[in-house]
Amino acid sequence: MGRQKTLVALAGQPNSGKSTVFNALTGASQHVANYPGVTVEKKIGWYSRNGYKFEVVDLPGAYSLTSYSPEEMVARDFILRENPSVVVNIMDAANMKRCLFLTFQILEMETPLVLNLNMIDLAQKRGIHIDTEKLAKLLGVSVVATNMKTGFGRKQLLAATESAAGSRAPHKGVNIDYGEMEPIFRALEDRISSETPHLRSKYPLRWLAIKLMEGDSEIQKLVAENHPDPERMVEAIRQWRRQFEADHDEMPEIHIANRRYQVADQIAKSCVQSKTIDRLPLSDRVDKIVCHRLLGPAILVGVIWLLYYLSIVQGYNVTNYTWPILAKIRSLTEAVMPAPGFIEIPLLRSFALWFVDSVNALLNYIPIFFILFGLIAILEDSGYMPRMAFIMDRLFSRYGLHGQSTLPMVLGGIYVGGCAVPGVMSCKGIPDERSRLATILIIPLLNCMAKVPLYILLINIYFAAHKGWAMFFISTISLLLVLPISKILTLTVLKNRPTAPFVMEMPPYHLPTIRGVLTRAVERVWLFIRKITTIVAAVAVVVFVLMQFPGISDERTAYYEGEKQKAVTAFLGKIKNTSYAGDIRSENLMDFVNYWNDYKRARLRTGGGDAAKALNAAYEEKNPMFFEIVRRSGKDGRTAYRAARRLVRSRKQLLMEMKKERIHKSFLGRAGKALESVTHYAGFNWRVNVALLSALAAKESSVATLGALYESDERGESLEKRMAEKEKGFTPLHALALMLFMVLYPPCLAAAIAVKIQAGSTKWMLFSVGYAMALGLSVAVLVFSGGSALGLSGFQAMIAFYALAFGLTVVTGFIKNESQYS
Amino acid sequence: MTLDQLKPGDAGYVKKLSSRDKLGHRLLCMGVYPGLHIKVIRNAPMQDPMEVELDGYFISLRHNEARYVEVSS
Amino acid sequence: MFKKKLVIVGVLLLVAIVPTPVLAHTPLCSCYEGGNDTVICEGGFSDGSSAAGVAVRVVNEDGKVIVKGKMDDFSEFVFDKPEGPYKVIFDAGPGHEVEIKGEEITE
Repeated sequence: MGRQKTLVALAGQPNSGKSTVFNALTGASQHVANYPGVTVEKKIGWYSRNGYKFEVVDLPGAYSLTSYSPEEMVARDFILRENPSVVVNIMDAANMKRCLFLTFQILEMETPLVLNLNMIDLAQKRGIHIDTEKLAKLLGVSVVATNMKTGFGRKQLLAATESAAGSRAPHKGVNIDYGEMEPIFRALEDRISSETPHLRSKYPLRWLAIKLMEGDSEIQKLVAENHPDPERMVEAIRQWRRQFEADHDEMPEIHIANRRYQVADQIAKSCVQSKTIDRLPLSDRVDKIVCHRLLGPAILVGVIWLLYYLSIVQGYNVTNYTWPILAKIRSLTEAVMPAPGFIEIPLLRSFALWFVDSVNALLNYIPIFFILFGLIAILEDSGYMPRMAFIMDRLFSRYGLHGQSTLPMVLGGIYVGGCAVPGVMSCKGIPDERSRLATILIIPLLNCMAKVPLYILLINIYFAAHKGWAMFFISTISLLLVLPISKILTLTVLKNRPTAPFVMEMPPYHLPTIRGVLTRAVERVWLFIRKITTIVAAVAVVVFVLMQFPGISDERTAYYEGEKQKAVTAFLGKIKNTSYAGDIRSENLMDFVNYWNDYKRARLRTGGGDAAKALNAAYEEKNPMFFEIVRRSGKDGRTAYRAARRLVRSRKQLLMEMKKERIHKSFLGRAGKALESVTHYAGFNWRVNVALLSALAAKESSVATLGALYESDERGESLEKRMAEKEKGFTPLHALALMLFMVLYPPCLAAAIAVKIQAGSTKWMLFSVGYAMALGLSVAVLVFSGGSALGLSGFQAMIAFYALAFGLTVVTGFIKNESQYS
Repeated sequence: MTLDQLKPGDAGYVKKLSSRDKLGHRLLCMGVYPGLHIKVIRNAPMQDPMEVELDGYFISLRHNEARYVEVSS
Repeated sequence: MFKKKLVIVGVLLLVAIVPTPVLAHTPLCSCYEGGNDTVICEGGFSDGSSAAGVAVRVVNEDGKVIVKGKMDDFSEFVFDKPEGPYKVIFDAGPGHEVEIKGEEITE
């Protein structure tokens, strides 16, 4: 055992409590990576014991180790290629017979094994008692019973692992006799041994033979590739299999499985004593309600509502406490950056503030995500997820989705706002590739939280009379569109993707551990910050550049300078006859303006009483003269105050005008103008285009950019009023087209990246962006041009479109899916 | 008789698996194999999929998958 | 009646799901004595937008409205200081109100 690091692999079937064991062994030292080439997660951690370091890899849960699913292949390849010193096989003690099916396969790989009978308490509750010593003797491996939730058996497991890792002796113990197949194995082994000798040193011979007879395609490929005459070898293997089936009227793989289960049965008979309990297991009694025809869906809706309520509403409340922290960071940035001039804002300052604002907007979601991820972890650990899939599968599979698409869609935003990022990321549980891709592609079309402000804005202006209906429309239209779109994708682009059987375990319900839930929530929030925020930050930079440059021309700058001079002169003139005349001149005017702005801003945020007193004292100390003016002290103070008010307002107007002009002339503005020729069919003018383009960084920016573009002069009214006034020609029909475009609009960059990660290729990411954009534009054009041609009002078009979408959903639901098994 | 033809409450023994590929393998490794006692617990609210019990564990599968499981009473 | 319920549900949902940009649009208001027994109130929003035109009212301890008006172009509202306890309400819409108690208005 003189190794630097001992490699330990955890293998086991799903729902065996494997993650609990992993957490118990590795504590806080774990991190997540990816197996190369697949979207399967690799969890790695480590621990030290007796001076040795143990690296633990939590292999994906798998019922078997064949080449039928990426998880199984990954687990198997890891054991074969990475050569762990020991494999800890975690097993649900109550389900020993079925779990042994996997155990035998690992044993056949001839790696040192420790059998961990986990959840021993639950087995005992069901009246199941296991003689671990006898079991150990029969299998020839160490057997450790544990209840990892409480930590019972942990030390023994560590000890058994250490000694198994250290032993160099090949395991002896159960070697399943496959009866009539044994002679074939021997023949196969001989052939492989003689014809592909180098395979023999890499892989256990017997195991290869068994796998070949099982019909494992990967192993067959492996043997063929290393064989001098591949075709002949493959044909020989096929022949053996065919012969066996003909001779014994039983498929080879069934025969092998049968033998394994028979041996498992024998072992169970001798080691397991179970008292029959008359009562139904608790989980089944709960399921009577949870999967009930009427109560089931009702409970599902309730759970979803609770999920939203706790994460979004309460999460929003929590942000009231976290936003001040982010605001402070912004203030700090403001203070550190070069001070603004009257109309010249240093580029560095603009950039820094824009950057901080973009990142803050995203970071502000953290409390919401933390609660959301925690709740999802609870759902996962409790065992409710398979029930969700059980209830929804019929509806979803009709449209090319999957029962397990339920949670991802809920996260993406079914009725109220969600977020595409966690929605897409949670698709990894969907076993069927075709429906997984379908789900990934439609989630960005759901009700993303950030789309909502735009809807509210437009509805308030253009559908004020029908607010309730409009909100209902916009909340449900995405679901109505998503189903037929998924169906169409399944029939076209995704037609040839592999599907997988639904067959799914309904595990007993479990009480989640606080530790497990918190760990996962933290892990996922950290992943979000790391991966998403960094990219969005990068894009914010790009968008900034596109909105800033080429900037305002020299002659326009001269114009603004002139305006500035007018305002400054006017101000100085007004204070000429006051005591401040000599003290405030054009040179230190900015100091005064900054002081004024700082005080006003701070005063607004401060309540009354003591806080206000303290603030005033601080500012008085900073500059007593300025303080007098700001507080309107004395006749001169009041005169100066009124003049200053006017000056500050003029400055604000100038800055806004300049910003508007800058955007208008910028690259982004030009792009918006260029797109007008196409988008005007959808009713979008260049301003809307610019807002939509900037929304690529993050959808939140659409409202912010619109705000900048519509900044008005005198009155700082609400964005609604400003937009309504500005766009006199904008009708509800325009608004409807815009809203529908936003519904289908490609995901923000963060979501696009999530798509790339989950779908595993840039090709899909680009497709998801491309098709959504095309679809969104087409629908907007359809609604706007179609609605105009038919002379429909906005509201009428809304009803018409809803009916259309509903009809499409019903019709596509009747087209049969091409399933392998129907 | 195939599994999809059974109703909630019916029980029997798995006689044969008539699927060779992914489905057959999946059924096998999840513990649905010939000779085992099987009982239908319920159908989902929308009638599909169905939940069955075998030897102490519970599995759900679609009716068009259950068609490949031959059962005998 | 159903339509009204729909509107209520819709508005409730709006309030429930309102995220960042509205968060950044929190109403702000502060008041202080303006000399000559007047009270000056200034309003604004946390994202910097002006509060011009926003309704302001002053109520006495019984809830009766003593003074009613709007923020002017400079986001200011001036009124005569009332007798007895009073409250200033800066009303930027449902869920966007700021209340300031008279006794806190000192400086």
